[in-house]
Amino acid sequence: MVSGALLFQGLILGVLLGGLYALLAAGLTLYFGIMRVVMLAHATFIVLSAYIAWRFATLTGLDPMLSLIATVPLFFLIGFAMQRYLLVRLRPATMTMMSVLITFAIALIIEGLLGLVFSGTQRRINLPYGTSSVEFFGAQIPVVQIISFALAAVSLVILYLVLKKTRFGRALRATIQHREAAQLVGIDTGKIAGFGFGLGLATAAVGGAALSLQATIYPSLHWHWIGPLMAIIVVGGLGSIPGAALAALILGVVRLMLEIPLGPTWAQTIFYLALFLTLMVRPYGFFGGRLAQRF
Amino acid sequence: MSTRTLARWGAVGVVSLLALGACGSGGDEDPADGEGTSAASEESEDPIRIGVSLPLTGDFAEPGLGVQRGYDAWVEQVNSNGGLLGRQVELIVLDDASNAARVVSDYESLIAQEEVDLLFGPFSTRLVVPASRVASEYGMLFVEPAAAAAEVFENGFENIFYAAPAIAPDHYNYLADYILAMPEDERPQTMAVTSMDDPFAQGTAYGLRDKLVEGGIEVVVDEVYPPNATDMSAIAAQIADADPDLLVGGTLYQDAVNLILALQQLDYQPRLAAFSTAPTNVEFPEAIGGAVDGILAPTGYSLAAEWPSNAEFIEVHNELYGTDPQEDEANGYTTGQVVQAAVEAVGCAEQGECQQQLIAWLHENSVDTVVGPIAWDDAGRPNGAHMILQYTDGEIQIVLPEDAAQAELVYPKPEW
Amino acid sequence: MRSVSETRAARTAAQSGAAGGGSPGRLRPTVIILLVAGVLALWPLIAGNPYMLSAGVIVLNFAVFATAWNIMGGFTGYISLGHTAFFGLGAYGTALLVINWDVPSFVALLIAAVVTLVIAIPVGFAALRVRGASFVIVTIALVLVLQLVFQGWGNVTAGSAGLVVPRPFPDLLRPEHHLVFYFLFLALLVVVLVVWMLIDHSRFGAALKAVREDEDKAESLGVATGKMKLTAFAVSAFFVSLSGGLYGLWFGDLDPIFQFDVVLSVQVVLMALLGGIRYLFGPLVGAIIVGAALEYFLLNFGETQFHLVATGLLLAAVVLFVPDGVLTGLAQLIGRFKPQAASIREQSAEELRDEREASKAKKVEAEKVETRQAEAQQSKEEDRG
Repeated sequence: MVSGALLFQGLILGVLLGGLYALLAAGLTLYFGIMRVVMLAHATFIVLSAYIAWRFATLTGLDPMLSLIATVPLFFLIGFAMQRYLLVRLRPATMTMMSVLITFAIALIIEGLLGLVFSGTQRRINLPYGTSSVEFFGAQIPVVQIISFALAAVSLVILYLVLKKTRFGRALRATIQHREAAQLVGIDTGKIAGFGFGLGLATAAVGGAALSLQATIYPSLHWHWIGPLMAIIVVGGLGSIPGAALAALILGVVRLMLEIPLGPTWAQTIFYLALFLTLMVRPYGFFGGRLAQRF
Repeated sequence: MSTRTLARWGAVGVVSLLALGACGSGGDEDPADGEGTSAASEESEDPIRIGVSLPLTGDFAEPGLGVQRGYDAWVEQVNSNGGLLGRQVELIVLDDASNAARVVSDYESLIAQEEVDLLFGPFSTRLVVPASRVASEYGMLFVEPAAAAAEVFENGFENIFYAAPAIAPDHYNYLADYILAMPEDERPQTMAVTSMDDPFAQGTAYGLRDKLVEGGIEVVVDEVYPPNATDMSAIAAQIADADPDLLVGGTLYQDAVNLILALQQLDYQPRLAAFSTAPTNVEFPEAIGGAVDGILAPTGYSLAAEWPSNAEFIEVHNELYGTDPQEDEANGYTTGQVVQAAVEAVGCAEQGECQQQLIAWLHENSVDTVVGPIAWDDAGRPNGAHMILQYTDGEIQIVLPEDAAQAELVYPKPEW
Repeated sequence: MRSVSETRAARTAAQSGAAGGGSPGRLRPTVIILLVAGVLALWPLIAGNPYMLSAGVIVLNFAVFATAWNIMGGFTGYISLGHTAFFGLGAYGTALLVINWDVPSFVALLIAAVVTLVIAIPVGFAALRVRGASFVIVTIALVLVLQLVFQGWGNVTAGSAGLVVPRPFPDLLRPEHHLVFYFLFLALLVVVLVVWMLIDHSRFGAALKAVREDEDKAESLGVATGKMKLTAFAVSAFFVSLSGGLYGLWFGDLDPIFQFDVVLSVQVVLMALLGGIRYLFGPLVGAIIVGAALEYFLLNFGETQFHLVATGLLLAAVVLFVPDGVLTGLAQLIGRFKPQAASIREQSAEELRDEREASKAKKVEAEKVETRQAEAQQSKEEDRG
């Protein structure tokens, strides 16, 4: 018999988890929309950012969130460089397949370097507020999860504002919608694509810092995230950020709730079930709207 | 000729070249540490070469390095005391990157290509069975520092020996006896078991669970999580909701930390809490915010134990690494001691018939080690028992069995 | 304007021409395959010890896996990162059949492969409904979900405790065991190579290649792209499963995290790409090179995680610089030594101009002669008339 309190607790935790997933998936779907690139290295960059946050916290004793001041611009630049100098070298005919392989190669390289520098030992940041929680109608909400949810929410709102309200955002959306048409109206799609990529990688930086607050990190952690994140962006509609966010929230809640009766191993399969379901029923994704692509 | 046919002939040529080249480069596949090739030399000046494959990288890297330190400490001790059978000992270590296919290749390479004289076992249950198979099929003695899971001994291998006091299901025996010996009204009535999906971790937790269930204690939560799980909140929520008296964790390290932190966040207070492996780690107290008092853990090795060879072990380890050894190092050292005892008793150290003699000797005799005297049954299971440790006033101390206890077991556990 | 039947005939001729012709085109490659197999069969003689022999078995296993993968990847251009799923299914399927129902090992191998084929069909159908990126995502997801399932279903698969596969020939010593399996893998390799070659020379293969070159045009030409892709997917899954089952019988110990490992998929793709996915022996060459390289990386750099970095660098290098593979580069290199159809004339511009003027002058002369002759003719006729 599962108690109501347990269900409520599960729901709260699921929402918080979903928020984190939303942030992590947003960048992934953005790369796809811009360049039809499946950026398998996104999860590795998240882990890299988490490692930087951890190292920063252990070296300076300051809050790991402060590392974002350095990592966000750094990752933005790396993303820009990756798109402008690496991905454009691939032939357009086989772009999608080859981009998968090359981003996978990047992921392996980063994982190897992380292991080289930090060894395979699992790490977790020791926070003074690491065990505190806030009570909310009988459910205990861990403070670290609230912070990462807040971080995710703020970042997604900023992303939304950038895309809707700024000229750059409009140019980016135009490039995603129809590249040739964007070029026709005078948008420098090459540069915009580069900035878009940088933006995506910047979200990885934020996501990694949020992750470092509440999880243990180790070099091969990205494997744990690639599957769920990819499933989320397909369910949400490739290229659509609101779609990804919505799918992330729903799948996060469902997964956590399922853990209670089914246990963690089986609960994780929900992502793949959703993926196959989406492909059979509605390959464009469920929440994509106009931005969703037919890959 | 068309390009295709050209390409095909090109392929034939490349394949032939590579095949020829590979035979020539067979020597290039020597490991970085490998040196001499004289395994069958008559001179007694030649070192005895011992082959090991360890996970120095990958998911099992940290404990793998601990075992290596133990092996190295043993080598140092033996060599400074005149060597084994008058010969110096040399360790050849290959990395298996925490991968089963690699561990098999490594041992095959050590036995068949390097032609080492003796073997030491690898680390981690998932790698032990495949590795044991290779050693068994070559007829080599295989003493292992990490073969705790019950499944390891159910494959019919006759050449394996676990270098620790007890296999996993027996790790908590003293604690089970203690709990069941308590008067009815004081005893915990309900328990939660949660374990990593790992044969060793599950072995310890289920060993305790099964004994307590027989004694009438009810299990209210029984969960397994995959080895790479990082989020314990759902399991913690279930445990907190059920509020059992006793919590048993089949854990390794980080998962225990994560679970305890999650439980602290949900404000659940067990009356008795036992976790395998994690609490014996030096960083554990800090990782969970210092709230360690009352946490129990089983251990095979203790710094305070007064076995004859322990003092020398601690000394050598401190000389080499500047710190005290922990359980993984002790397992490695014990492996060395067991092999040493057999070799010195039988008087040989090489592949072939000698290995069968070593195996036979170990089946008949017990060996004194830094974890006490160990003797084995036909399948290689040791006959001892692990001690139970508990944190008291921030310090971890032996509480069971009573004749080795440094402090008394505290029950119920103070709040964390 | 040509008639419809003429166009169709021309198309058929073009197709079969592109496919390399009829039976005579299949005999020579078969002989070459057997020759290569003969060369590979010499390895046990060259290998100095059982370890080298077992390394050979591993390389052959990779070669079979990569060539079978290439039935899908090479012909259709759809890069599947999920074929490890079929490898694992073959391994576990064979093991479970032998353990639970006492099926003889090699019969179990075939049954497991057929079962995998049956599973691959709906999976392929779902995966192939989408193209490009989503296909890759789905194939990766397949491996990950099977890892979870096999880990979680401990009652059936022994989960993390590992499944022990009974040896088909329990009385063999280990070195002999390696030897027997070396030849078994070699035989399987020959079979897969022949299958690849047959597809390459068939209409089916030509249709697949049309999909690779331009799927929309192929569809508009009437090629049943959906069915073709699915068939290729299923066939390649069948053979990959065979290689997985054989591996299980050889290796003896199965564990979900090692059997369902996405990195293995990538290594196989790397092998096929490096060798050249358009060539029969491409994956084999790639398997030998990458297999040896991986071994080298691990033995020399295994003390650290550098071997992962090295694999990644190699993959990146192949994708960026040699995406067509080693054999293509080799073919181009050999081609340079043949007499060329040069685009530069052997004459200089001056000579050409002189030649042109000379021929123009000749033409003018000839025209003059003609005109004079015609005039002479006309005047003769006028004289008569």
